[in-house]
Amino acid sequence: MTTNPIIDHLAGDFYTQNFAKTAGEGNLILNLGPQHPSTHGVLRVVVELDGEYIMRAEPVLGYLHRMHEKMAEVKTAAQFIPNMGRVDYGHALGWNWAFVGAAEKVGGIEVPERAEYIRVITCELNRIASHLLWWGAYLLDLGAFTPIMYAFDDREKILDILQIPTGSRLTYSYFRIGGVAQDLNAECIRLIQEFIPWFRARLPMYKDLVSDNIILRKRIENIGVIEQETCRRFGATGPVARGSGINYDVRRAVPYSVYPKLDFEVPTSDLKCARGRYDVRMIEMEQSLRIIEQALEMMPEGEILIKGAPKPSWKVPKGEGYFAVEGARGKIGAYVVSDGGKNIYRTKLRAPGFCNLSLFAEVSKGTILADAVAILGSLDLIIPEIDR
Amino acid sequence: MEALFTGLGALYLAKCDAAKTGQAFQAFLPAGSLVRAAERLLKANYYIEDICAVDCVEGFIVVYHFDHFEAPGRLTLRVLAPHAAPTLPSIANIFDGAEWHERETRDFHGVVFEGNPNLIPLLIDPEMADCFPLRKEEKARAKAKDMLEAGEVIYCHPSFTLMTPDAPAEVKESSGDQPATA
Repeated sequence: MTTNPIIDHLAGDFYTQNFAKTAGEGNLILNLGPQHPSTHGVLRVVVELDGEYIMRAEPVLGYLHRMHEKMAEVKTAAQFIPNMGRVDYGHALGWNWAFVGAAEKVGGIEVPERAEYIRVITCELNRIASHLLWWGAYLLDLGAFTPIMYAFDDREKILDILQIPTGSRLTYSYFRIGGVAQDLNAECIRLIQEFIPWFRARLPMYKDLVSDNIILRKRIENIGVIEQETCRRFGATGPVARGSGINYDVRRAVPYSVYPKLDFEVPTSDLKCARGRYDVRMIEMEQSLRIIEQALEMMPEGEILIKGAPKPSWKVPKGEGYFAVEGARGKIGAYVVSDGGKNIYRTKLRAPGFCNLSLFAEVSKGTILADAVAILGSLDLIIPEIDR
Repeated sequence: MEALFTGLGALYLAKCDAAKTGQAFQAFLPAGSLVRAAERLLKANYYIEDICAVDCVEGFIVVYHFDHFEAPGRLTLRVLAPHAAPTLPSIANIFDGAEWHERETRDFHGVVFEGNPNLIPLLIDPEMADCFPLRKEEKARAKAKDMLEAGEVIYCHPSFTLMTPDAPAEVKESSGDQPATA
């Protein structure tokens, strides 16, 4: 820290100054972001560098904070559903599900079986889209430009499919308390059936061209090792935990919807490094295809919304409920406390990315700056979800 | 599960219906034993899910959610932080992830966590960090016992009334005992 009034304003804002207080003699304080391509949106990380090595790092959040939890207190439950699509644009349907599920839990509402299958199908398609977005962007971070073109080609097909029932391409608000908004029509089902073999054939190509590529391997293997104990201390879930060998997937651990009826595997990796997390996500896309295939076959005819489904003015009955689903980034949780009033008394949104990012400071310690970017990307961050 | 809390002076222990509330077990603790409880949970391989506060008539009910990778079942710890002086001990030195959750709770409700290594604003702009957007006006506050699930009571401290709407068995017994001994 300088004490020269002429250059004091160069010392940075509140967060930089607070961070610099304990910096070592002669070390460089560097701000990564908030406007930096590799931080995926508006994440900012302040790092203390000794040469190229990171001595300390601190993510600075809040640039995309919209106070969704306050908005939940001034809207009815049904009016709050569109917010969920805006919390995480990567896996919007996962968030739809978590909130709607919590409201259903407190309200004691059963969902028709067809709606459950539709939820599974659309949610898994959205998961693939989210993983593709991560995959393309991550490789872009690491200097490979072409893969994102392929990834977005595939993702485009999913967006086209999901556009039919949901009416939107990114910020879905498709789930309703008691079901879903629209049925999957014949055109939509035909497109899904075409997509499955098409995408299945693309995955081996990605493996040959990208996953086994020596440059990628050198960039991500043995980088950012996360121990299982670290996952517990920070509450990391999803591919981050599974990439460290923790066999934990909410779809299996705390089964919900029709997942128990579906046959799929939960991939894990014992590598614990960025490579482990990469592998887990690549296999998860295959598994999601399997789930969609089975769900399409098993989906019964019937209602997509329960009879007498809650109206927009519906009041969540007194009580509390916590509902968690497996999102693309980990455990998405919605905790709802209701006093029976017009609006929900308190809604807490548990963002998996929030917990996953919180371990970055510890994991990045002692790595070189270029590797820190590889670690950051391997956590699959979606900033609006972290800031909420 | 109860064994985890022996000797911690728990005020209230209850088994919950996971299918109905998403929680398997809840414990209401005095603020003083929060850190020891967290230490035991870490040792028992629990992981931290989140921390949040609920602004009730009685004070801020700060809710800690934990879960287990191998034996799933949500465990909820609750602690009361009075409106007048909402201060609780931090568990960020045990569960490192709690640091951010506690900072978020400070931003939203103004609950101060003593011992948090870096209790600066997390999501709210530092220049307006003392606005506490989720604090409720006094007349808008509801009672905790009206909203929070009581569950199947295992233990309830005689003086503890926060979670006991219609005085469950334990309380009736103890209040019935008093005149007998007197």
